Amino acid sequence: MAEIESCFVFNASTKQSIFLCFQASNESLKMELLADVPLLPGEERVIDKDIIYICPFNGPVKGRVFITNYRLFFRSVDVDPAVTLNVPLGVISRVEKMGGASSRGENSYGLDITCKDMRNLRFALKQEGHSRRDIFDILFRYAFPLSHGLQLFAFLSQEKYQENGWTVYNPVQEFRRQGLPNDQWRITFLNNNYELCDTYPTILVVPYSASDEDLRKVATFRSRGRIPVLSWIHPENQAVITRCSQPLVGMSGKRNRDDERYLDIIRATNKMTSKLTIFDARPNVNAVANKATGGGYEGEDAYQNAELVFLDIHNIHVMRESLKKLKDIVYPNVEESHWLSSLESTHWLEHIKLVLSGAIQVADKISTGSSVVVHCSDGWDRTAQLTSLAMLMLDSYYRTFRGFQVLLEKEWISFGHKFASRIGHGDKNHADADRSPIFLQFIDCVWQMTKQFPTAFEFNERLLVAVLDHLYSCRFGTFLYNCESARDANEVKMKTVSLWSFINSDRASYINPFYTVEFVHVLYPVASMRHLELWVSYYIRWNPRIRQQQHSPMEQRYKELLALKEQYLRKLEELQLSDSTSHLSNSTAPSPSTPSQRVTHLQTPF
Amino acid sequence: LFSELLVKSVFVSFPLDLQRQILRCLTLMLRLSPPFGLLMCIGEIVVNEVNFVRKCIAVDSSREDLWGKLICTNFKVSFITHDTLQLQKFQYTNRLLGEHDIPLACVEQVVTVNDAKGKQKVLGSNQKLKFNPTELIIYCKDFRIVRFRFDEAGPESAKKVCLAVAHYSHPADPQLLFGFEFAWKRHHSARLNGVDIEGGPQVPLFDRPSDWDREIKRTGASEWRVCSINEGYAISPSLPEYFVVPVSLADQDLKQYSGFFAGQRLPLWCWNHPNGSALVRMASIKDPVQQRKLDQRICTAITKSHPKRSDVLKSDLDKSLPNIQDIQTAFVRLRQICVIEPFEESEERWLSSMEGSRWLEYVRAFLKHAAEVVYMLEGQHASVILQEDEDRDLSCVISSLVLIMLDPHYRSLVGFQGLVQREWVMAGHRFLDRCNHLKKNDKEESPLFLLLLDCVWQLLNQYPTAFEFTETYLTVLSDSMWIPIFSTFLFNCPRQRAEHCREFVQSKNSVREFNMLRFPCVWDWDQQFSRKDQALFNSPLYVGKGTSCIHNGTVKTFRRTKKTYSSTLRGLPSLPNGMLMEVETLPRRNSLAQRLRPDFSVAREAPESPSERFFREWLTRPADPHGLLLPQLLPSHLRLWKLYFLRWVPETQIPRGGPITAFHRLSLLADEIEALQAQLRRCGSASTSTSTVSTPNISHSESSRMYFKARSPDDLSSPPEYLTSSFPFSPVGNLCRRNILGTPFSKFLSGAKIWLSTETLASETL
Repeated sequence: MAEIESCFVFNASTKQSIFLCFQASNESLKMELLADVPLLPGEERVIDKDIIYICPFNGPVKGRVFITNYRLFFRSVDVDPAVTLNVPLGVISRVEKMGGASSRGENSYGLDITCKDMRNLRFALKQEGHSRRDIFDILFRYAFPLSHGLQLFAFLSQEKYQENGWTVYNPVQEFRRQGLPNDQWRITFLNNNYELCDTYPTILVVPYSASDEDLRKVATFRSRGRIPVLSWIHPENQAVITRCSQPLVGMSGKRNRDDERYLDIIRATNKMTSKLTIFDARPNVNAVANKATGGGYEGEDAYQNAELVFLDIHNIHVMRESLKKLKDIVYPNVEESHWLSSLESTHWLEHIKLVLSGAIQVADKISTGSSVVVHCSDGWDRTAQLTSLAMLMLDSYYRTFRGFQVLLEKEWISFGHKFASRIGHGDKNHADADRSPIFLQFIDCVWQMTKQFPTAFEFNERLLVAVLDHLYSCRFGTFLYNCESARDANEVKMKTVSLWSFINSDRASYINPFYTVEFVHVLYPVASMRHLELWVSYYIRWNPRIRQQQHSPMEQRYKELLALKEQYLRKLEELQLSDSTSHLSNSTAPSPSTPSQRVTHLQTPF
Repeated sequence: LFSELLVKSVFVSFPLDLQRQILRCLTLMLRLSPPFGLLMCIGEIVVNEVNFVRKCIAVDSSREDLWGKLICTNFKVSFITHDTLQLQKFQYTNRLLGEHDIPLACVEQVVTVNDAKGKQKVLGSNQKLKFNPTELIIYCKDFRIVRFRFDEAGPESAKKVCLAVAHYSHPADPQLLFGFEFAWKRHHSARLNGVDIEGGPQVPLFDRPSDWDREIKRTGASEWRVCSINEGYAISPSLPEYFVVPVSLADQDLKQYSGFFAGQRLPLWCWNHPNGSALVRMASIKDPVQQRKLDQRICTAITKSHPKRSDVLKSDLDKSLPNIQDIQTAFVRLRQICVIEPFEESEERWLSSMEGSRWLEYVRAFLKHAAEVVYMLEGQHASVILQEDEDRDLSCVISSLVLIMLDPHYRSLVGFQGLVQREWVMAGHRFLDRCNHLKKNDKEESPLFLLLLDCVWQLLNQYPTAFEFTETYLTVLSDSMWIPIFSTFLFNCPRQRAEHCREFVQSKNSVREFNMLRFPCVWDWDQQFSRKDQALFNSPLYVGKGTSCIHNGTVKTFRRTKKTYSSTLRGLPSLPNGMLMEVETLPRRNSLAQRLRPDFSVAREAPESPSERFFREWLTRPADPHGLLLPQLLPSHLRLWKLYFLRWVPETQIPRGGPITAFHRLSLLADEIEALQAQLRRCGSASTSTSTVSTPNISHSESSRMYFKARSPDDLSSPPEYLTSSFPFSPVGNLCRRNILGTPFSKFLSGAKIWLSTETLASETL
């Protein structure tokens, strides 16, 4: 590489992908070079223009910006090393004009771009002849295609990969892995046409002794028909994690015999569970407040064989504000004088702590043989965080490279976490109240776990960053739309590429070399402020004052040592070979061993 | 066949070494056989003991408590029990201490409590106790809190032991520190047994000119010489006998100058950069009349010693860094929030409490200042004088850090130990006062050495492949300060050591042997740990300089090219030689990065300073673990050293987790590689000698540096059950916070020096 991305290090996975596409794509696909950057198959140039990039770290940089239907690319001129920016348009949450034709001061006329991935960009143009009008319009159109009747890039991409990531998750297969169906739990296709619940997947696992009719009745009493269904079953003690939405109790404190009976059926599927634990992710007051809008929580009288625990996790609005505060203290500059108290005042780590400790409580109940129900209000935000994190703690399969993909596909994508609303793919309404970094928060929790257990996960930090990058990029179909039914309706699997196609074709980059296979034990992270750390390599990755590294030095070192080991083994083999031939010529030792045998023989002294 | 050979070669290669080790251990201690079970050092005597004592393990229940005997000796507080601790497996043992032992020098405060009467008292030396204690709480300097209960014990003996602990942990005189008795008896028993106790490690102690000569040669400081005018401490009481000065300064001049420096401390050479610039430390000049002249003379001399006659910059440490009291205050606050305050209650405000302690802020300030000095030496090719009033505290930290950042030699185990020996022990850091071993003057107490270790840890944490040693090593080194037998941490300066030794031997009426009183130095790790446990010091990530070239094509090592001096730089009309530049322009702490407006600012408020650019450009290049290292200084990138500060806190322990689990995996691989290297050597030598008999070469087990050993090739075994984030330490039984009479301890304490304030004492007398 002749240049160093000194200012904005564009994410490594993007670079990688471009390279891979070269290999994977057919000869017939025309590759256009754009300022030395190969375009993705299906990517098209829209406009390019001389512009000044106002780098918040190094000041104004002259260069040229290229806009395609997928990305914004900037390269500096006459700066060495070159400053480049490579920003997928999906990352953009807001584009604004800065200054006016009459604004005073140098570089005061141009564009302000707010991004979803913890950075902002500012460009300046010459103050003449509406120089920014075309680029602003184009950026606005292509960054927010859905607001302009255009398609997301995922539907335009022509990328081809060896592997089809859409096959990573097969619900029946996954339930079979868990030993389902069994004599207590059955698979139902009742939701095949999304009639029972339009935000649930088609395939659900429910208690064997609950009839389809029962399920329909329960659906009427659960917000948006999201009835309690099985997420995970303990292979030994048969305790289950079930998830759902809040009961429709309302101000009058309505009761529903079917719902009550149904929860008791769930409890009874496990003989050890004398009381079913209902984890309500919300703070108590929020649960009460929800009664006003028809929701609520399971009352003690109504659900005799259940105990209700509130986990005090705040709602999507609180999380959004928290992340906003976090961005304020890390971008562009890290708050220096009162870093720790500023960090504390964002409450970001405190929220992480509450989510993690909620998940620990769920995992703990399960491993002591007691079944649980987890819900929040709608059961697609906090619930998904809790169930997926608890499953990550309980089941080592989800800590593998494949298993983690299955976990995301299952608990988040198929169970209707509203990715479209939370992220706002291709939507210009940056201030939409539905936006919230719930999924980011979950990935952060996973990262915290990987920090505490560096050998327990098969994947590395790069995978987590890549997932977050493509959460926004709109290059793959994986995180598009709010639920399975919407994905079906838009034929996502037919028309777009899965993120896992991309990830799995470059597996080696995302593997944690320290991973040690372990099947049995439950991982309990310590959810204490003493251990929780800000994920600086994600949140502060744009800052040039920190060292940018593709791999952690530890990982890098481990790989180097592995290479060294191979080299020694080879050398040893050669030496043995020459040794044995000399021995043969001397006929002192009759050693007819082949090199490979010699090598295995050699290793006995360990 | 191979395993047989291995055993054989081990046997052949070991005896001498093994013998020496065993003998050395024998001379150190004798383990009295059970039922006593007390591990006794040479020279150690039992003062008082009490039976049927309960050691408290958990805060809320007594189920896990241990029953045994509490003994106070002249060296330590010992608890002998036949119960085994269910929850705890000690993974490493100190040869000088039993599982439950606390050296008296490690005792920070002794508190006795009587539950029934609602009384408590902080015990000092020679004090009376009006009540029979039901409980003894010992607060330790290494953050442990150990609690004993006397419910079933004889009240009088319990009281006696408590008073003995208090008394013996406040020695009235340095010579009452256990080390003296130990060294004396050790010397005699060694002479009787004909064992050489001088074996020791291969660490230069810098108490002889040859050590300095080697260092001059190593750094290519040809214009510097070893000066011996302070032989017999004739000139300065706190300087070492030998130190290094510019060639152009004659002994006669130095003698004349010495009188003007605080403590007669002449400037000390620390190090030479390959580009010729030197690092020098210096005390302040007392006489204002002489100051200018003397300053100029010294600078001229330093400039003359620079091959390019570069400028000399002076960095005033007192002005830009926190003072020793600030550091002590920060440390006490940090201890407060780490181990005293109730865990759950302090969670919510944890981050701001950390900030409030200011410990990390100070760590950052020192790292940042050192980095600035590095810039002057490396980026500006200028020689630097570190000036501190007495040149015995802050400059020890800064010079050590600068050297560690610039010279990879000091990141090796031997190099680092030599560095501490030189910049701390020989340079006259007041260990006796700063450690407050005599508990006399609290104002002098300050954890400067721990501060250095924390700074080094930050670098280690940011560049794990650049250091030969581990954080366990740093922790254990810090703990060794509280075992008062090592010369390293017992004295204020070499002269004080010599004097005390002479006096002590005189007091034993044995004048002719005063030379023979030799304390072990801490670098002789065999004194404390088995070879196996010492393997925990070795980082599997570290590869010495030679090895990196073996890497295949995928491994790129970036090497700093030797600086070449541009002719323009030489030709520039720089400041006249010898003219002193006050580096008042040095940015004060917290100002490394110029603050930007939170929104986009079109232009920076201030242009990037040259040092900032130097740091930024360095950061964009790949880091060479064997080249220059600069710390990442953003506050977000400095961390609490959890292994040190939180190792005793049971709530923070991550079972089967923590960085140690990755360390375990790396160790296995590094061990395999070492085994392969050994095999390659054997094969190589076998084939060249064409002999079928394998010569007793360096065998695997001897050469292996790793604590965790691979049991088979490609050993992918999971980390052992006992690994926790606190490994090799265990919080069980080592941290027993309690609420006194329903009042949290913290209420009595507000960052004061002592753990219990005098108000508590007042309330006790009520």
